[in-house]
Amino acid sequence: MEVRNNNNNKYDRQLRIWGDQGQLALEQANTCLLNCGPTGSEALKNLVLGGIGSCTIVDDSKVEARDLGNNFFVDWESIGLSKAKTVCNFLQELNDTVKAKFLEESPETIINVNPDFFSQFTLVIATQMKEQSLLMLDAICRKQGVMLLIARSFGLTGLIRISLKEHCVIESKPDNVIHDLRLQKPWAELKRFSDEFDTEIDDSVIHKHIPFAILLIKACEDWRKTHGDSLPSTSKEKAEFKNLLSSKRRGVDEDNYKEAILSAYRVWSSPTIS
Amino acid sequence: MLSQKAKVLMVGAGGIGCELLKTLALTGFKDIHLIDLDTIEVSNLNRQFLFRKQHVGQSKAKVARDAVLKFKPDIKIEAHHANVKNSDFDVEFFKQFNVVLNGLDNVDARRHVNRLCLAAGVPLVESGSTGYLGQVTVHVKDQTECYECQTKELPKTYPVCTITNTPSKPVHCIVWAKDLLFARLFGDRNQSSDLIVHTNDRTSSAATADTDFFNIKDGETPESYACRVFDGVFGDNIEVALRNEETWKSRKRPRPLYICEVYSDAKKPRIDGSCNSPDGNDKHTASAARILGLSNPQEVWTVRDSANVFLKALELLLNTRQKDIGSLVFDKDDQLAMEFVTAAANLRSSCFDIPMQSLFEAKGIAGNIVHAIATTNAIISGLIVLEAIKLLMGNLDDCRTTYCLEYPRRKMLLMPAELSAPKSSCYVCSQSTLLLEVNTTMTRLREVVEKIVRGQLSVNSPMISQGPCLIYETGDDLEEDMVTQYNQNLEKFLDSLPAPIVDGSILSIEDFQQEFTCHLQIKHREIFDEEKEPDNMVLSGKLSTTRDQALPGSVQLTAVADNVSIHAVDDDDEVILIDEVAKQDLKRKVLDEESVIVCGKRQRTEVS
Repeated sequence: MEVRNNNNNKYDRQLRIWGDQGQLALEQANTCLLNCGPTGSEALKNLVLGGIGSCTIVDDSKVEARDLGNNFFVDWESIGLSKAKTVCNFLQELNDTVKAKFLEESPETIINVNPDFFSQFTLVIATQMKEQSLLMLDAICRKQGVMLLIARSFGLTGLIRISLKEHCVIESKPDNVIHDLRLQKPWAELKRFSDEFDTEIDDSVIHKHIPFAILLIKACEDWRKTHGDSLPSTSKEKAEFKNLLSSKRRGVDEDNYKEAILSAYRVWSSPTIS
Repeated sequence: MLSQKAKVLMVGAGGIGCELLKTLALTGFKDIHLIDLDTIEVSNLNRQFLFRKQHVGQSKAKVARDAVLKFKPDIKIEAHHANVKNSDFDVEFFKQFNVVLNGLDNVDARRHVNRLCLAAGVPLVESGSTGYLGQVTVHVKDQTECYECQTKELPKTYPVCTITNTPSKPVHCIVWAKDLLFARLFGDRNQSSDLIVHTNDRTSSAATADTDFFNIKDGETPESYACRVFDGVFGDNIEVALRNEETWKSRKRPRPLYICEVYSDAKKPRIDGSCNSPDGNDKHTASAARILGLSNPQEVWTVRDSANVFLKALELLLNTRQKDIGSLVFDKDDQLAMEFVTAAANLRSSCFDIPMQSLFEAKGIAGNIVHAIATTNAIISGLIVLEAIKLLMGNLDDCRTTYCLEYPRRKMLLMPAELSAPKSSCYVCSQSTLLLEVNTTMTRLREVVEKIVRGQLSVNSPMISQGPCLIYETGDDLEEDMVTQYNQNLEKFLDSLPAPIVDGSILSIEDFQQEFTCHLQIKHREIFDEEKEPDNMVLSGKLSTTRDQALPGSVQLTAVADNVSIHAVDDDDEVILIDEVAKQDLKRKVLDEESVIVCGKRQRTEVS
């Protein structure tokens, strides 16, 4: 992995968008670009700068004079040479941690003759290709679990299509995080810790310093004993639960009880996958 | 071909600049001037693709030019490694161009260029980007709004008392650590603000109230100095603050923190006074955190970690930067400084029950870092060139403001909007008078010049006069006795000037380079709200902040970066962007989704 912990990381500005996780996904991705005209080259440039794991360019054309006008990644000296190789070399210069490769072959040929070629990639970017080939490519990619991104540009307009199987993303970033205090299911050490406290204790100083989470754990236990091992569910029960807590409060200065009552909702809204 | 004959000025060779230079070259432009004052940094390399690792430290403008010439040797590119506000770039300079293209990262420079373009009568294409968002627009004198017709939100400043007494957010603690503590310990002592906590009871004050508190005493070791400072700012200062009951009536009371509490059961990090840290003295690599085993900048430190870093970084700074102490300016890329600020901010946060930040996050906040990638800038550069071509063809009607969105809206990632006519209330492109409320008996001219004239009005070389009397001006060709007089004037209270400024006075503010004039009417006021009006003066009239409602018929531009420092912003790729466009019911004249404007002709999009 690229110097992740180096503070003067060249990826600093983009880490602030997608974090370590996003960067890792980028660096582990193997991409394939079909046709490295201006559209493909420009797209790949942005990925290479960002640190994509590898990119393989598939294009059988040679660099012509007319390419010099619209593709920044070919130059006079490369006329007559393989466009894939030329673009590949240039892109490699942009980021030496990316593995840039090329294959001097037409994408259509590979689609027809060697579809398994695509199985090694995470993502295939198909640019300026005809619908017929795209349909075949899509079928191949679907079968092999490879993501496909189709891009076409015409003059001043362009379009992008993504094709990938429906999949599950478990990465909850809820707007309102509910911290799990394990009130309903304290683990062994927490339970032992909780047992050390006595809510009936005479000493008022100790009484008002019992942490509110402990008060709730104990209240849960008590509730369970008298309610068949279940937790408050109806609004009547929830109110009753809070009243039980209040009844134990001995004075206005007992902030711990106030906090416990305010946080009582944590008892019945346990964090689950939503 | 149109592009081949045009002469273009690019201001900025950074994120947008690199992409723009490439796009201009590919579009056939052959005569380009490029201005950028910056040098290349490692963090630029993820998107400013004309630069390589070996170019770090070199001029962006020059390296960009060289890179493009390698690919297109037949273009003329003149690179200026200079500040666009430099007097060399006067109206005559601007007049030679057919169009000016901005790829800047701060409002101040944008305003300056705006004024010069207005003065020279040259159309300006403006742009900005941050993360996935970006926008491009066009300004043509007398035909469209100028850049300043729509007021830009000024950099966020925090009331002093929030920073010194009642912080409630991480940014407050970071600003405190950076602009107060760091500045006081390592910067120019004469310029630093008070770290003293204000108490109503004037007889009791913190040990830190002693003006020499932060000076290292004779014979004091770095270790005992560090501990003394620690206890002073995180312990005593807080104790004193707590004595003011009024403050804490409806706020959570902070907890003082002392060295002995932090290390009650553990040893302090070894402070051995040695000057040799294994990383050497390179300010980019010398690190207290690494010595202490805290190698992951994204990990949030504990209170103990923060205390360790605080003490160690302080020691290293004292020992390895002796010659800089007393003049050190905070630089987010100065590793030790950044670690010190993070540690100090975290310790303060822990006293006030505010969540602590990792080094990575703190750096973003302290350095006003804006996230950025290549893709957005590439898109923006394309849009800039399209607008430039429309202008060169004389098709102003086809020019648009275009927003690059993060998610497609109605299946489009690019959203165009028609341009608006100039605002008659704009004090830049239409003459109008502003109102300045200030205490004329207690405010010095210097404050007005810094906060209002240079600050809010963004005037570069001001000439201030009242009627026929010149009160202040800047310039290289002034006579010595004039300069002396002006310097004296700066220190005088407004009503004590040779031409006294009192209630009802009208000042003229001019800048020849910007060809800018505006009038300032003075209104005397005694009292200012410390929290709401921390500058002790209020500028109003036609100039209103964007916190007020949006001007009708316009799109609201709001700054995205809301984590800025107490002083002027020095940021990288600061953005001015729309956020709320879709939610506002505006006379925006967005084009319908069925058609796309292509060089004056509406065409139906054909998607195969």
